[in-house]
Amino acid sequence: MKKIYILCVDDEPEVLQAVEQNIAELEDSFPILTAESSDEARTLVKHIADEGNLLGLVLCDHVMPGDNGVDFLIELDKEDVFYNTRKVLVTGQAGLDATVKAVNEGRLNHYVAKPWQAEELIKIAKDQLTQFVIRSKINPLPYMMSLDAEKLSEYIRTEGIVTDR
Amino acid sequence: MKFLNKQTISVLLGLVGLILPQFIGFEGLEPAGQIAFGIFLMAAIFWICEPIPIFATSLLIILLQVFLLSEKGLFASSLIESGYTPQSYKDFYGTMASPIIILFLGGFSLASAAVKFGIDKTLTRFLLKPFGSKPHFVCLGLMVSTAVLSAFMSNTATTAMMITVVLPIIAQLDKGDPFRKSVALAIPVGANIGGIATPIGTPPNVIALAALRGQGIDIAFSTWMLLAVPLVVIMLILAWRILLFLFPPATDEFKINLDAKVDKSPAAIIAYIIFGLTVLLWVTEKIHGISSSVVAFLPIAALPALSVLDKKDIRSFSWEVLWLVAGGISLGLSLKHTGLASWIIDLVNWGSLGSLGLLIVFGLVAYGVANLISNTVSATILVPLAVGLGVSGAAGADFNMGISIVTIGVVVSLSMILPISTPPNAIAMSTGVIETKDMAKSGIVVGVIGFAITLAISLLYWPLFIK
Repeated sequence: MKKIYILCVDDEPEVLQAVEQNIAELEDSFPILTAESSDEARTLVKHIADEGNLLGLVLCDHVMPGDNGVDFLIELDKEDVFYNTRKVLVTGQAGLDATVKAVNEGRLNHYVAKPWQAEELIKIAKDQLTQFVIRSKINPLPYMMSLDAEKLSEYIRTEGIVTDR
Repeated sequence: MKFLNKQTISVLLGLVGLILPQFIGFEGLEPAGQIAFGIFLMAAIFWICEPIPIFATSLLIILLQVFLLSEKGLFASSLIESGYTPQSYKDFYGTMASPIIILFLGGFSLASAAVKFGIDKTLTRFLLKPFGSKPHFVCLGLMVSTAVLSAFMSNTATTAMMITVVLPIIAQLDKGDPFRKSVALAIPVGANIGGIATPIGTPPNVIALAALRGQGIDIAFSTWMLLAVPLVVIMLILAWRILLFLFPPATDEFKINLDAKVDKSPAAIIAYIIFGLTVLLWVTEKIHGISSSVVAFLPIAALPALSVLDKKDIRSFSWEVLWLVAGGISLGLSLKHTGLASWIIDLVNWGSLGSLGLLIVFGLVAYGVANLISNTVSATILVPLAVGLGVSGAAGADFNMGISIVTIGVVVSLSMILPISTPPNAIAMSTGVIETKDMAKSGIVVGVIGFAITLAISLLYWPLFIK
């Protein structure tokens, strides 16, 4: 079975740690990777693709040394293997222009303004990963427990992903 | 990269199973029987170990039969020389559109319309209402609704839909309330049992009916329901009491949201009418005499003709389930026609068992195997052997082949011990509300009691319908 990764990108280690802690309950089903820059994130993403695994969700900061987060997300969006990857901007500093660019050119799925609430972030992560599983037409059974079980059941009902045998 | 993983070993084992019988001469087995034996062994190994999807194995069976056993096959002339009359390749292909498969397809088409317009959800709200809000009765209501729907739709799709109904109920209950487990288990148990109720309820029923037709025993849709519904009703009530005994509720009452939006668009109304009309014609087969397989084409043709189902809906039918069943029926043809089934049966001296002993042995094996592998496959492997037993006469004159076939078809649906036993079990398990040991507990009790009841009914009640 292919692994579905979560990638968190932020240049501040404390923030990165906070993001990771907030979504830690997903770790068992979705291994979490962290990167402190767009470059590091690129290496990780390439590794995921090379191993034939999937990237379910990116939680990305905007202002970072080197390439900014929005550019990284737009770049990611262009790659076929990450077509269904859910992209969330977690930032306090992205201006209107950068955010609009992320939405229009990078199909940004969600915007989280810093500072955020822990419950808010985990809920967003679950919603986005649920969408990822559905849109990627993955067998949802292994993920029912950690994600939105109701939506995933509905998906089994309508799409016939699991059938009688 | 390990070469010798489980998958490659299973494939190799299957191929050995296919080839080996061709080099070992078995006494009493003609060349055609040897080929069929090879196909049978390969299919069984592939179906059990699943190196490839089970429906793919079914398709392989048809491929091998057409190439190796048919009149157009590679060995047709040498098979004829050996005194065997090869079957037409059309017989094997024909299984994919046999009347019983068309009946099942009719069910798919209705189910697709039901899902598209939420008929399943509306019906559930309607069925649940009379059961009120007391935990005991809600649990029964959930089981009854699930069973009714799964009798006409796939057990799996029904379970998925019902899970969306029970999750809000479970969320209201205290984490420590054992009743959470009752509610979560009520769905797969209801779906597994409910599938028994009609010919199209679950694929093993189709396997059983196809075998019966092959023996010239034609069972009407309504006759099957007369045979099965009493069993289903008894089983539901018992399973309900068992679940409540094992996981009693700690609360007195809870809220259950039964507001349903009924789709009143013209397409939806046509869907309701065709759904109702088809089911009505099916259950009244005895009165008007139009075969259920004939009626089945009504929804297949009318729903697309009236733009209720579109191209996308038709593509989303579970075609692989039809092919799984077709391959199974096709394998049964060769088992019978080449004499392989009778040969396998003759390996064992059955005479000492008596007809009741035989029924118990076949039933137990079917029940046991179906807990571990696909129900359809279990029925597919065992039903032709029961036919062989009946045909060869090894079982004695009082052996009722028809009843044994129905018994096998039914008991596989009672297998619900493990998460892997059936897809409904797997779905319920994946919610995280129940643990494997909870499922095993209820599964064993329901299964064992169900087996005994099935046996009793097959001895006392079914002989009224199947001579």
